[in-house]
Amino acid sequence: MSNLTNHRASAVPRPSLKSRILSTIHKDWMLYLMFLPGLVYILLFKYAPMYGVTIAFKDFKIGMDIMDAPWVGLKHFADLFGRTAFLRALQNNIIISFAKLAFGFPFPIILSLMINEVRSSKMKKLVQTSVILPNFVSWVVVYGLFYAILSPNAGALKDVLRLFGYEGALPNLLASQSAARTMVVVSHVWKGAGMGTIVYLAAITGIDQGLYEAASIDGAGRLKQMWHITLPCIRTTIIVLLIFRVGEMMYAGFDQIFVFSNDAIISKIDIIDTYVYKLGLQERKYGISTAAGLFQSFTGLVLVLITNWIAKRVDPESGLI
Amino acid sequence: MANKRHHKLGAATGGERVGQVLNGVFLGLMVLVTIYPFWHVVMYSLSDSHVSMSGGVFLWPREFSLLSYQQLLSTRQLYICYRNSILKTLLGTGIALLLTALTAYPLSLPRFKGRGFFSLMIFFTMLFNGGMIPTYLLIRDLHLLDTFWVYVLPAAMSAYNMFILRNFFQSIPPSLEESALLDGANPFQVLFHIVLPLSGPALAALAMFYGVALWNGYMDNVLYVNDANLQLLQNYLRQLIAAAGAKSGTVSEMADVSAASRLTEETVKMTVITVSVIPVLIVYPFLQKYYTKGVMVGSVKG
Repeated sequence: MSNLTNHRASAVPRPSLKSRILSTIHKDWMLYLMFLPGLVYILLFKYAPMYGVTIAFKDFKIGMDIMDAPWVGLKHFADLFGRTAFLRALQNNIIISFAKLAFGFPFPIILSLMINEVRSSKMKKLVQTSVILPNFVSWVVVYGLFYAILSPNAGALKDVLRLFGYEGALPNLLASQSAARTMVVVSHVWKGAGMGTIVYLAAITGIDQGLYEAASIDGAGRLKQMWHITLPCIRTTIIVLLIFRVGEMMYAGFDQIFVFSNDAIISKIDIIDTYVYKLGLQERKYGISTAAGLFQSFTGLVLVLITNWIAKRVDPESGLI
Repeated sequence: MANKRHHKLGAATGGERVGQVLNGVFLGLMVLVTIYPFWHVVMYSLSDSHVSMSGGVFLWPREFSLLSYQQLLSTRQLYICYRNSILKTLLGTGIALLLTALTAYPLSLPRFKGRGFFSLMIFFTMLFNGGMIPTYLLIRDLHLLDTFWVYVLPAAMSAYNMFILRNFFQSIPPSLEESALLDGANPFQVLFHIVLPLSGPALAALAMFYGVALWNGYMDNVLYVNDANLQLLQNYLRQLIAAAGAKSGTVSEMADVSAASRLTEETVKMTVITVSVIPVLIVYPFLQKYYTKGVMVGSVKG
């Protein structure tokens, strides 16, 4: 079939691009029809808002068409970086993201290595089934569970601390400035550990068992096998997940922070998303809040590209793109 | 020889045995830390308010009571939110699966001209997005604010899930489709009668991914919907729990016993959390099974 069309193409003068596109569509028009809803969805809900970021460079007012709004250059960005509240949100965002990466990223790797060392398959199954549970509940429920444990009067924590001999009054950890970021990071690790663990365990399952047998015969202990076989074999998975995580660093967790926030601690955990929400949707300052959002997604894009480039430099087989 | 080797593999040195025990203890603690909060909430919700007020660890209900459930289940708003959340999850998952399959199938075919361009176009949406405000303005302009559709349409397809499904379709032997094409079947017939029936596990995994995200997501409610009749369960729960956060600036929280019932605020919260977690626990065996499989499919780089 393709031979036939090729033959015809070489015999007659090459048809114009337009007619070639039309003839392709004519031949497989049903495939294009099938693809159409997805294309419309992507254009409407993903690309139209990308056009909408031009608001960041315009003086856009409610009731105006985006096209008609006059250009103002980088005014909104200058305004944005002059605001202490934004700089505070940016700083919180970076601190929280780094802490989440530093604790949340290695934890599932360690956990999966530990689960892999368990001999009893029942115990293995129990641990796997348990640690994934928090992944399936919402951030609202996670907050509720933390509240149930940490609440100074009605929570469970005081009995646990009594076990260790502490009888004093408990601070309210969910409304304490000094504990706020810790709580955000701890709940992030607690909720996300299981998901990462599954991914790494899946990668570990794929490792050739012969490698372990050979190493064992050569006298390598469990720790050495872990370091010299397991970790190198799941390296690609680790790097791909790392690129994803680094790319998400500008997004410090809107769903989570939104529910963890209260007046007492907002200064410590206000992030770019919550800041954009307040400025844009509550104060209706569309231009400057769009500028904040654009700064966020553009930085995110740059972070992914840089991490991907480094990953490929270090190990040509890995990398996302 | 075989015996010796077996001996070597099976035996653990003294240090390794200690490692095994420590490993077991740590993982046991992990299980406890993960499961206990759920257990605590359920047991608290089943206890009598006056006894549970003192808090602490709950192994079993203290003075078993269903009063909070009776109170809660007579609240009209709970039913409204439950209905909305279930409808959102079911309809949203259905629409998402259909749209994802319709998009992924053409992209899986080498003969589909423009697949490279379209794939790149969809991939780019994973790296960059317009952000909260332009999306909000678009949804306002589409007159989707305060409608049920805002829960399902903007989230109708995830690029990540689409690529997982496309990769899965590509692993199906093309000979099956070719013979159907020769019999005169059109692409829709091939997709629905041949490809999709072979994609059961992948579709189940995607249904779990979409379903969990739809059930747990509540920002769409916060951002786009004010109508109480369209409220989602998670947002209802958030408002009940966050009420505590708002006044928790003070160190001591007095559990205020409401005059109408003998319930503490705490017991009510624990009950709402329990009620909202139950659907997840019911489908948990499926979730665990297919989610895990889906993660494995997705973790293969494609």
